Amino acid sequence: MTATQIAFFVLAVASTASAIGVIAFKNAVYSALSLILTLLFLAMFYLQLGAMFIAIVQILIYAGAIMVLFLFVVTMLAPEAGGTEEQDRMPWQRIVGSVLGLTLVGALSYLIFTGTIASGTKADPANSLSAMVAKQGDIQAFGLALFHGFLFPFEVTSLLIVVAILGALIFGRRA
Amino acid sequence: MPLSAYLIMSAILFTIGSIGVLARRNPLIIFMSIELMLNAVNLAFVAFSSFLDSADGQMFVFIVLTVAAAEVVVGLAIIVSIFRTRRNIDVDEMNVLRG
Amino acid sequence: MTNLSFGVLILPLLGFLILGVLGRFMSRGAILAVAWGACGLAFVFAFLSFLSMIGTPVSGRVSDPTIYTWVVSGNLQISFGQLFDPLSATMLMIITGVGLLIHIYSAGYMEDDPGFWRFFAYMNFFIFAMVLLVTADNFLFLLVGWALVGLASFLLIGFWYQRRAAVAAAQKAFVINVIGDFGLMLAIFLIFINFGSLNYQDVFGKLSPSALGGPTATAITLLLFLACTAKSAQLPLYMWLPDAMEGPTPVSALIHAATMVTAGVYLVARANPLFELAPVALNVVAGIGGATALFAATIALFQLDIKRVLAYSTISQLGYMFMAEGVHNYTGGIFHLTTHAYFKALLFLGAGAVIHAMGGEQDMRKMGGLRQRMPITFWTFLIAALAISGIFPLSGFWSKDDILGSVLAQANATQNPWFYVLWGVGLLTAALTAFYMFRLFFGIFTGSYRGNVVTAHNEAEEEEEEEEGSGHHAGRVGYYDIYEAPAVMTVPLVILAVLSVIGGFVGSLALFGRPQWQPLANFLASVLAVKAPTISFALGWLSTGLSLALALGGIGVAWLLYRGGFQYKESRNPLYQLVFHKYYVDEILTAGLVNPLQALGRFASRFIEGSLLDGGSRGLAFLFRLSSTGLRRLQTGYMRNYALIILLGVVLIVIYYAVRG
Repeated sequence: MTATQIAFFVLAVASTASAIGVIAFKNAVYSALSLILTLLFLAMFYLQLGAMFIAIVQILIYAGAIMVLFLFVVTMLAPEAGGTEEQDRMPWQRIVGSVLGLTLVGALSYLIFTGTIASGTKADPANSLSAMVAKQGDIQAFGLALFHGFLFPFEVTSLLIVVAILGALIFGRRA
Repeated sequence: MPLSAYLIMSAILFTIGSIGVLARRNPLIIFMSIELMLNAVNLAFVAFSSFLDSADGQMFVFIVLTVAAAEVVVGLAIIVSIFRTRRNIDVDEMNVLRG
Repeated sequence: MTNLSFGVLILPLLGFLILGVLGRFMSRGAILAVAWGACGLAFVFAFLSFLSMIGTPVSGRVSDPTIYTWVVSGNLQISFGQLFDPLSATMLMIITGVGLLIHIYSAGYMEDDPGFWRFFAYMNFFIFAMVLLVTADNFLFLLVGWALVGLASFLLIGFWYQRRAAVAAAQKAFVINVIGDFGLMLAIFLIFINFGSLNYQDVFGKLSPSALGGPTATAITLLLFLACTAKSAQLPLYMWLPDAMEGPTPVSALIHAATMVTAGVYLVARANPLFELAPVALNVVAGIGGATALFAATIALFQLDIKRVLAYSTISQLGYMFMAEGVHNYTGGIFHLTTHAYFKALLFLGAGAVIHAMGGEQDMRKMGGLRQRMPITFWTFLIAALAISGIFPLSGFWSKDDILGSVLAQANATQNPWFYVLWGVGLLTAALTAFYMFRLFFGIFTGSYRGNVVTAHNEAEEEEEEEEGSGHHAGRVGYYDIYEAPAVMTVPLVILAVLSVIGGFVGSLALFGRPQWQPLANFLASVLAVKAPTISFALGWLSTGLSLALALGGIGVAWLLYRGGFQYKESRNPLYQLVFHKYYVDEILTAGLVNPLQALGRFASRFIEGSLLDGGSRGLAFLFRLSSTGLRRLQTGYMRNYALIILLGVVLIVIYYAVRG
């Protein structure tokens, strides 16, 4: 067992536990906090995979901005919403959902293990990322890839953000 | 670690997220579960990016991240405005579109 | 030879059309002018044609002009033509002559009826249809005429259509007739297959034992005879005739005594070349004729309704006619047809006069002592009763003895014991005929009047009849309210009585030493000449003497029992009950045939149409409703359910990929 593997398993268990915590806690604040934890663990996964920029961005934006927003709304609404978890009209939903979920994970695992996805992946030498990283460093490599190949999606994304801001403004106004 | 390990991890997280969407009634928690699902997908992308030695996976994650942010903003705004009108955010109460 | 038979055909048709369209607006006089005019002119034409025929030599006595070629299709050629030969001439005279007398009589009988114009329209239509039947020169138009007289009979039996009994009787007559029509149609098909043509001259001209095999000829003739049993009310299709008495009495006289029911006799005579090739069929004809004669006579012994007695008497006499034709004596059958037309029409018209005078009463128990009140009817009825009993020298004597003699001749010639039995049956029936006829006669005219005697029996019956709301109104008629019929009714009675007396002298005088005197036979010889066995002088006298003696015996018994008036005692004897109820034939048929068919109809309607067809389409609609109700439950409105289903879809896709490998 190499260090990488140990690290992986520890992270795996931890992130699974916190993910379950997201969906299991009755208190919404606890759920939000569990989600923050999960995100952090995921960032560590990214680090292990060598995606430095993405890992940092994940922490900054997801855990930093988005989850703060969540916590704002949760703390604003949750206490006043009171006992929302009482009188579940469809208790069977949970059971069916769990069964379905287990089926899903089982099927996906089967696919992953027996399919050609995991085994048939070949690196494409021409577009090699590691080469670029080795030559120019992480951030630069990322920037080059983004602004050369993915410029158009980048611009569209900014447009999307503008729209979202507008939407939030409109919804946020008092009736 | 082989690629399949990360993919299995991604699948597990995705499943947990989908169970959360189905089993909870508080829309905020449902939202958080959706975020979890998105992050699971991100993990898969990054894993592929690393194992295919290509930047495309990380690009996708970038985009997904941004879209998730925008979606959270709008979604929370909607939830807040629903709360303002109905004083209740239980999704089971929102069944006016029943057939 | 002047052949005016087309006029004889068209005039009644024109009369029917005029009366049918304009009749309701015409006055009594106008209606009678049209009706009497049509029938009278038709008779004049028939008579003139007849005279002209007598004037031509024998070989020229056939006229068959083709009036209209109807169908020419490959081998099939059907044209409408009228065959005018001695047989059709005889029939035409009877139809139009007796028809005219009855038309005249009906003016008096139907004078109170609101459907006066309708009656005469139908009567003219009937004359037209009957003339069509007897003058058709091919089997197809024979069938057309056959069916049309059935229609006319239906219309006239159900003339008083507000009466349920009349309508039911009309339907019964029609349905039973259709069975006969079926037989006739099958026979026509067979004839066409074997001869390629339906024209009489083509068919009869090609006949020889080699041209037509025995079984085929037997099949054709038996099918033809089936039609005859239906139309002429023989066993087993006689049931409609007694019920047909629901119609007005002139109808019963014309259609169900003198003319329509004789169509069967005419058919057998016309097709005699075919019958001669099928001895089996002839035996069947004779046998059924004899059996029917006896059967109907036994029923007539106990009937209480005067018209029903006459109806069964008609069936019985028709049996005699078929008996004659069955032993190769076609001329005898036609001869008896003519004499029967005279005295049976007279009997019916006389009964009609009585019914008319009694205000609609037909029950013999309520009559009696009418001799003093209705003398003309009395005397004419007596003459007719004597004629039908076969008393010398009235017409019935000659024709009946002709028949019995020929039966005995056949028995002698073939030495077949069954023919002797048939002869015995004929004699016995003669005795019974005389008896019931005079029972009827004494019951109506002698003794004291019983019409105003009130018994519990009478009360109940009167109430019953008043409820029904009948075309004739039965009530208690006082003795001095009964008057003799008006002249328009009694004149035809007298004329028919005269004919009943002298009508027999066209028969054979062989028994009286003048064998060359047989005018009718000579006249019909060109059509009906058949090698028939003959009997010796002595045997002929034996047969005649026996029948006369038996007839007189029958009259004597009736006189002894009923001369003081008709006393009715219902007997508890089971045999009596059986015959009184007409052997329960109608009841058996209703239970065995009618009720199951109605049950089948109800079953088909309720189950096949109701449950299966309607239920099928309703079930389809129900299925749709069920599925939509079920599918509607998917739209719960709960977001979580929708999410579940989405996830389910995703899982299914993943599983699909997993399974596909």
